[in-house]
Formats: sequence, C-alpha cells, structure tokens
Amino acid sequence: MTPLVEKRTVDMQIIGEWVTPGSRVLDLGCGRGALLDYLVQTKEVAALGVDLDFARVTAGVARGLSIYQGDMTACMRQFPDRHFDRVICSRTVQELDDPAGVILEALRVGRALTVGFVNHGFWKNRVDGLLRGRKVRNAVYTTEWFESRPANPVTIADFEHFCAAKGITLTRRVHLRGDWRTPCRVWPNLFAGYALYDLAR
Amino acid sequence: MTDPEEHEPVSRPLASGEVGLVAPQDFTCPGPFTFKSGQVLPGFTLRYETYGQLNAARDNAILVCHALSGDHHCAGVHAADDRKPGWWNNLIGPGKAVDTRRFFVVCANVLGGCVGSSGPSSVNPETGRPYGISFPFVTILDMVRAQKLLLDHLGVTALHATLGGSMGGMQALLFAIEFPAYTRRVLAMATTARESAQAIAFNEVGRQAIMQDPDWNHGDYPKGGGPRVGLAIARMMAHITYVSDASMDRKFGRRKKTTADGESYTFDVQFEVEGYLRHQGQTFINRFDANSYLYITRALDQFDLAHAYGSLAAAFAPVQAESLVVGFTSDWLFPPEQNRQIALALLRAGKRASYAELATDLGHDSFLLESEELYTLIRGFLERSHTPAVDFSI
Repeated sequence: MTPLVEKRTVDMQIIGEWVTPGSRVLDLGCGRGALLDYLVQTKEVAALGVDLDFARVTAGVARGLSIYQGDMTACMRQFPDRHFDRVICSRTVQELDDPAGVILEALRVGRALTVGFVNHGFWKNRVDGLLRGRKVRNAVYTTEWFESRPANPVTIADFEHFCAAKGITLTRRVHLRGDWRTPCRVWPNLFAGYALYDLAR
Repeated sequence: MTDPEEHEPVSRPLASGEVGLVAPQDFTCPGPFTFKSGQVLPGFTLRYETYGQLNAARDNAILVCHALSGDHHCAGVHAADDRKPGWWNNLIGPGKAVDTRRFFVVCANVLGGCVGSSGPSSVNPETGRPYGISFPFVTILDMVRAQKLLLDHLGVTALHATLGGSMGGMQALLFAIEFPAYTRRVLAMATTARESAQAIAFNEVGRQAIMQDPDWNHGDYPKGGGPRVGLAIARMMAHITYVSDASMDRKFGRRKKTTADGESYTFDVQFEVEGYLRHQGQTFINRFDANSYLYITRALDQFDLAHAYGSLAAAFAPVQAESLVVGFTSDWLFPPEQNRQIALALLRAGKRASYAELATDLGHDSFLLESEELYTLIRGFLERSHTPAVDFSI
C-alpha cells in the first residue's frame, strides 16, 4: 500500500470500530463507496451513500451498495428523525456550502454523526502558508487553487468551537499525527494531521 | 460475476454482438382472466420474444417491459434485411449492458396492446368482431399479472431483474410489489409512482383527438380503418412530450422544407419539424390501433401507487428486490423529482434502492439513449451479486 492509499483508509478502520454491526448507516459524500463497502463487508451494515456525481454513483451501485445521487441535505430532509443509527461525513465537511446546516440535519436523521477531516491547523500547513504564502498543497490537497473545489480550511479548534456553540456533544474524538496513524495527545490543533469525531445531540 | 477483489468498475471491450434473427411467439392463457375492474376475459394471448438461454436454475430471466407505444420486439431483427432492429437493441444483446450471454431476456406486448397480444382489436369469439371498447378496462396491474402468467408458462422460477422505462418502469415497480419473492432486481427509468395531472392532461388531449374523429365511431371500426386523423394527431402531440425544447431545436431549428418557398403564406408544411411530426403521425397509424391507444393511456392515468395501496410506504412494504431508479434531467413528462421520490420512498421503507440521474437534453426518451454512462450503470446493477435484503424497517 502506498502511503497515500494508507492515509485514505486510516479512518475506515477507526470508523469501523465505532460502527455497530448490523446498524443503519448513511454516508454523506460517499464517493465510489469504498468506506461503505468496507462497512458492509465487515459490519454488515444497511448502507446508504449520497453523492452528486453520476460516475461515482455508478461505481457504488456496481459494488452492490444503495446510492442516492443528489444533494445530501435535500436527501436527509426526506427521512424521519433518527432514521439512521449513524451518519458519516468523512473528508467532506470542508467542501460543504452550508456545513452547519448539514451537521444539524445529520444529527436529526442520525443517532450519531461521525465527522472526519484533515486538520488545517496542523503545523506543516501553517508553515506552508506562512513561509510560502500560498494555498496549502500536499499529498492530500494536491491541486492548485484554480483547479480545486471551494473549501473551508477547517481546523480542530474551529470544529470544537462550532460544536460547543451549537451544544453538540462530542462523544468520541481521535486525533492523529501527521502520519495519520499515531495518536496525538499534545496540542492536537498544532500537531494533529487528521481528526475524527463522533457527535450526538 | 466480477472478481470481488476488483473495486473499480470493469471497463469491457465495446465490441458486442447482436441478438440477430428472432421470431415472436404467442402464449395463450386458456383460463379466464379477471381484470382489476372485475371484468373477465375467457382467456388471453400475449405475443413475446426471448433472447438468450434460461439457465438450469431457471432464475436468470430479465423481463423487459415496454412503454406506451412499444411492443415485444425489443432486440434483434425479424428478417435479415430488416431496416430497423428491436426498439432497445442498443441495450440488449451478447456482451451488451443487458447481456444475452448471461441472461434470458423476455419481452411481451402488453395486455390491451395491438401487436399480437389480446386487446381491443382482437376478435371477440362471441360476436366474431373486434372487441372495440367492449374489451375489459386494462390497468398496469393487469399487464403485470398477465406477464407473470407468461413467465410461469416459460418455467421462470425467479426474475433476475425486471426493467423498463416510462410505463415499463411502472410495470417493473409493480412486479416487485406484487411478486416480491419472485423479483430480485428492479430497474425503473424515466417513470413515476403516480401519473401527474400534466401527464393525464396530455393523454386526454390524445384521446379526444381520437374520439372526436368521426371515423372512431365509438370504437367500432374495421381493421385498418378507424380514426386515422385523430390517432396521428394524438401521436404528434405525444411525441413532443417525449423530447425536449433543446433536442428539437438542435434537430430542426427553424429549418424549412426545401419544397417550402422562403416566406410562403400557406398552411402547408413549411418547417422541418412539421414534416417530422406529420411523418411520426403517419407511421404510427400504420402500426398502432386507436382503441389500444385509449386503453393504454387510460391505464397510465389510473397508475397511482399511493392511492392503490394506501400510501407509498404501504405499496413498497412487501418489496424484497434491490431497486435502481434512473431519472433524466431533461425529462419533463416524468421529471427527475418523480423518479427520485420513488427511490426515497423505497429507502424510507428500509429497502435497498439507488437513485441515479443522468444529465441529458433529450427529454423523456433519454432512457433509450445510446450512452456508455447509462450502459455502465445498468450493467453494474444487473451483474452485481445478489445478497438477500436485510430489512431494518420497523
């Protein structure tokens, strides 16, 4: 496995540990369905993925998954309260038009919400911005600003501030170092490259 | 089956074979058939075609359901020099998205139709004359039940899938509702769970064009006769609802027929689009029966799953199949929203269902599109391995 592929699968294992076998899971921004496929195979979850892109939906369907092509908030509005045991928003939150709206809606339709994101407060990202004065580019964010989707460079401090302000309970949190593997216990906003949270209302 | 280790969709060589020469067959159900209306027919005939081979387990069958003006001839040719193959030949064949090397494909002309199946143009054995409008009223459910009898006759023990667009999509959904243990996959495209007011309105204009034609004569007309003008107008109007503003403009624009002088002040055909529609109307009257048009459009109007079963949730409650619903952005007859609602209702009911939306500008008929994207989606859905549905509905 290349380091990048390994990075992409790291949160799979952690989320997999948080998921109850046989539960009902909604993945917002499911891409080609790799995470859901893993959860179906290892945890036998009843999975639904949402994505905007026809080709990615096609890939998910071919994997045997249930995939809904369309807007994630509009999709969630169609479900009753607590319809899903868990909603997952893995590496999607930084690209949302209305992150607060999505997170609050996800906490309505889901008993738990898992959010995973790259910490833009990680020291390398700070140094990158400070010294180069350019948009962060690394193994994860490979593109120039003009070929990138609009993104909110969210940090761990930003995210926890948001949750406190909205009265959202952080039931679990995992901060990983720059290698996205080693737990980070000291000053995570500076030293963690990746953050995972489990939220509840 | 694809290698389970393989996570990216497999792109296969595009080269694919043709179904080739096919011959329609007739299935005659000898027993009485009671329609949803309560009316009874002593028996009925369905004309159908099959492609591919039924496997030993007799469970690799795919039922293709046709739309309003379609028929059983969905792939292959009837003679080596046929100008046109079956209406879904681009999708069905050896190596194609619906692969006849793997699947046993069945397609039947619907009950109430006019291409060999029992319908208003069939002869009533009691009178020796065509039934006309004394033929029992047909619903989509009647069409589905009749096709199930055909599948039983063919010895099909389970449907690998049922698929169709438009009215075919309605039939596919009903198969999963009425025969849940029998139907493993449903692929419904450009369809609806409830015929909308606009769609009923278009059907009514078509019916009025037919019934206001004096040659309709309350449905009593000789074979080959009847309301040719009315039926042609109905078809011209309906055809517009199958395409889109953008696709018509691209195809015809404001181009004029070469026979029309620049600014001629007559009502003869001037624009190419007029000539095209008239041609559509004329070819239609040579192959379709006006009374069948009345019956089938009425069946469409009656289609409302929520009303028939109490609610959409109740309608979908028994479904065991995995479903894929496909909407097309430019479809204004059965718009994406109506397709999306089918998938969402299935999901709310705890079923395995997907919704995909293809961006095209070809309107309702987009489901017949030659599109590698659509083929890949359909192939991926049909060829994925079936895992029994885990139902988490309360």
